[in-house]
Amino acid sequence: MTRIRKTLVALGLATALTLTACGGGGSSSSTGPAETGPDGKLPATTIKILAPSYSDSSKSDWEKIITKFNEKQPNVKVELQIEGWDDFSSKVQARIQARDFPDILNDNAFAGAASEGLLYPINEVMSPETLSSIEPALLKNGEGSDGTQWAAPDIASSRMLAYNTDLFQQAGIAEAPKTWAELEDAAKKISELGADTYGYGLPLGQEEAQVESSLWLWGAGGDWVQGDKLVANQPTAVEAFGEMKKLIDAGATQPNPGATNRQQAADLFNNGKLGMMLSHSGLLKVTRENFPQTKFAVAPIPSKGGDPVAFGVTDFIVAFKNEDANRKEATKQFLDLMYSDKLYETWYKGTGLLPVTQSMIEKGRAEDTANAEFYEALTYVKFLPVGNPKWDALQKALQGTAGTVANDSPEAVLTKVQAQLDAQG
Amino acid sequence: MKPTGGFRESLRALPWLAPTLVLIAGVVIYPAGLMVYTAFRKFSSYGFEQGPAGLANFNGPAGAFTFPTVPMGRIWLNTVVWVVVVVALTLVLSLLLAQFLNLNFRGRKLLRLAIILPWASSVVMTTTVFHYGLQTDVGLFNRLLVETGIIDHAIGFTKNPTMAFWVAVFVAIYVSLPFTTYTILAGLQSVPDDVLEAAHVDGANGMQRYWSIIFPMLRPSIAVATLINIINVFNSLPILKILNETPGYNTGHTTTTLIFEYKAQLGPGVASALSLVNFAFCLVIIAIYLIVVQPTKEVA
Repeated sequence: MTRIRKTLVALGLATALTLTACGGGGSSSSTGPAETGPDGKLPATTIKILAPSYSDSSKSDWEKIITKFNEKQPNVKVELQIEGWDDFSSKVQARIQARDFPDILNDNAFAGAASEGLLYPINEVMSPETLSSIEPALLKNGEGSDGTQWAAPDIASSRMLAYNTDLFQQAGIAEAPKTWAELEDAAKKISELGADTYGYGLPLGQEEAQVESSLWLWGAGGDWVQGDKLVANQPTAVEAFGEMKKLIDAGATQPNPGATNRQQAADLFNNGKLGMMLSHSGLLKVTRENFPQTKFAVAPIPSKGGDPVAFGVTDFIVAFKNEDANRKEATKQFLDLMYSDKLYETWYKGTGLLPVTQSMIEKGRAEDTANAEFYEALTYVKFLPVGNPKWDALQKALQGTAGTVANDSPEAVLTKVQAQLDAQG
Repeated sequence: MKPTGGFRESLRALPWLAPTLVLIAGVVIYPAGLMVYTAFRKFSSYGFEQGPAGLANFNGPAGAFTFPTVPMGRIWLNTVVWVVVVVALTLVLSLLLAQFLNLNFRGRKLLRLAIILPWASSVVMTTTVFHYGLQTDVGLFNRLLVETGIIDHAIGFTKNPTMAFWVAVFVAIYVSLPFTTYTILAGLQSVPDDVLEAAHVDGANGMQRYWSIIFPMLRPSIAVATLINIINVFNSLPILKILNETPGYNTGHTTTTLIFEYKAQLGPGVASALSLVNFAFCLVIIAIYLIVVQPTKEVA
């Protein structure tokens, strides 16, 4: 008898300790026109911003805009939350689950939230003048597959091949590779220079496997998009993964590509231990400023046939529907202010990436000579299919699975990616 | 008091129990209820609720047990190995350590303090120290192993899921030792000296004294330590999550870390479904322990 009771008590204790807590939340609502006063001032309200950290200055860059905004709208409180990129999507997820929608979200995806009706079309919270100041080719990237402009790009970046010129010289390689065969050859030669030197940095870890594998896919002449569907398991993708595997098997990449993020590859590059990697202006700004002993140049990304490939990324501003006219109006005024030349210039420069407004692109072309190649590449870049609601699923599947190509055949890896994609309907 | 006044008595106790009951309802029963509810609702991967799901979160095309490419069998096996190996090795090492700390020697207080330190620091911090130390390029542990000639080149201990799992086992034992050792040490100090002396006089040798007197008297402490360890280790997320650098559904997961992987890719519905089963599984492990070992049986 006592034993049974004790067992029950123990199980009860176990129950209490095993359960974990999670929370919910509520939201207030009021619709109708904004209660703007005769002096143009909004009543007391709060708008919330959730943004990733692009660099150490991200918080203060946002705060500069907030200070300016509060001069115009002293009654509106702006709550800013800055989070690191590596775990950003789970932070967004947490806010959505708690129904604590940020009024302004700066993120790299929007289709999922748009297809669930959580967003305002961006033209409801940005003036036509602001929208038309954005480079049309980049603006198009924020259009959903339903044709609605759900998001406005806020920064752009293009990827190019960065290569260490000293290592190229030591290995006796005259110029940057243009084709896969040349890349393979160069990478092998650099890897043979020493035990700590690797030819090509292949980051297939959690952070950016989708970017790296898309670039190889495009280099093989393929595309994830087929009709209105996204297809992972296709011949060109098999070819692209086969080429990555070839590099890994030849020992021409850094060790453990499946567990390497882009920053870790960049660390190797900065310390002069990596011959080549696909990089962007933000990362190379760090190399230029903090690692002057590492000499590098940039070139178009090699492809199978030799036609240059370039990859473009835009991050976006989206506005969540909080069904509150005052917050909506405050959001609109904030965004219009943010994209105004002077404030936008400081803000985008803080990210180390490229601007999206026409006036700033023009200014950057003229003045920012260090990034001339990246501005040039912006004219022929391809973008990931971020407007497709299925992209989120494909992105997650690639992030979790692409890295296994080190120990598995390309066909098997792509079958797994496709299966995960299909299972999510 | 009359024995029949049970109900009245409970009623009178209510005002004193109320705060505790409210707390239990708020932090245990409500979240558990919410979890059960969530397990049967459909969510988008963004975490937005879309309606009832039936059993789809368990066995639908994107269900917790049927999502393609998840090595489910291996993950169950890992979970059992993780709990059994960590708890058993921790217990054995703690029994030895406690025996040693119970001796009388100079500097005993300092040594006891040193052993309690890993317990005082955060698990995330301790694990992060191991994680950095085991990196191939900047890791101090890797450098130590290479320079002492134990291995001939740096190994990516945390880059391969299976190896990372065993590193995590090591770290889990390391952080579980202090609590277990102290629980057993407390038990050791309650063993009366006169009983041991009597056994000594009767001619029992050290081994006999340990197994026939000390060990049986330690039973309650061992039971407490083991139960709490099983629950702690079973639910331990940070160690495995920090040390396993390989993303996706790999051979280094336990069901608890898989819950979080699902939460990110498939949303809270599927994660809750796995949580429910995970919870039941933990209870089964504890029940097996209680039935097989009978740790709460009184010393005869």
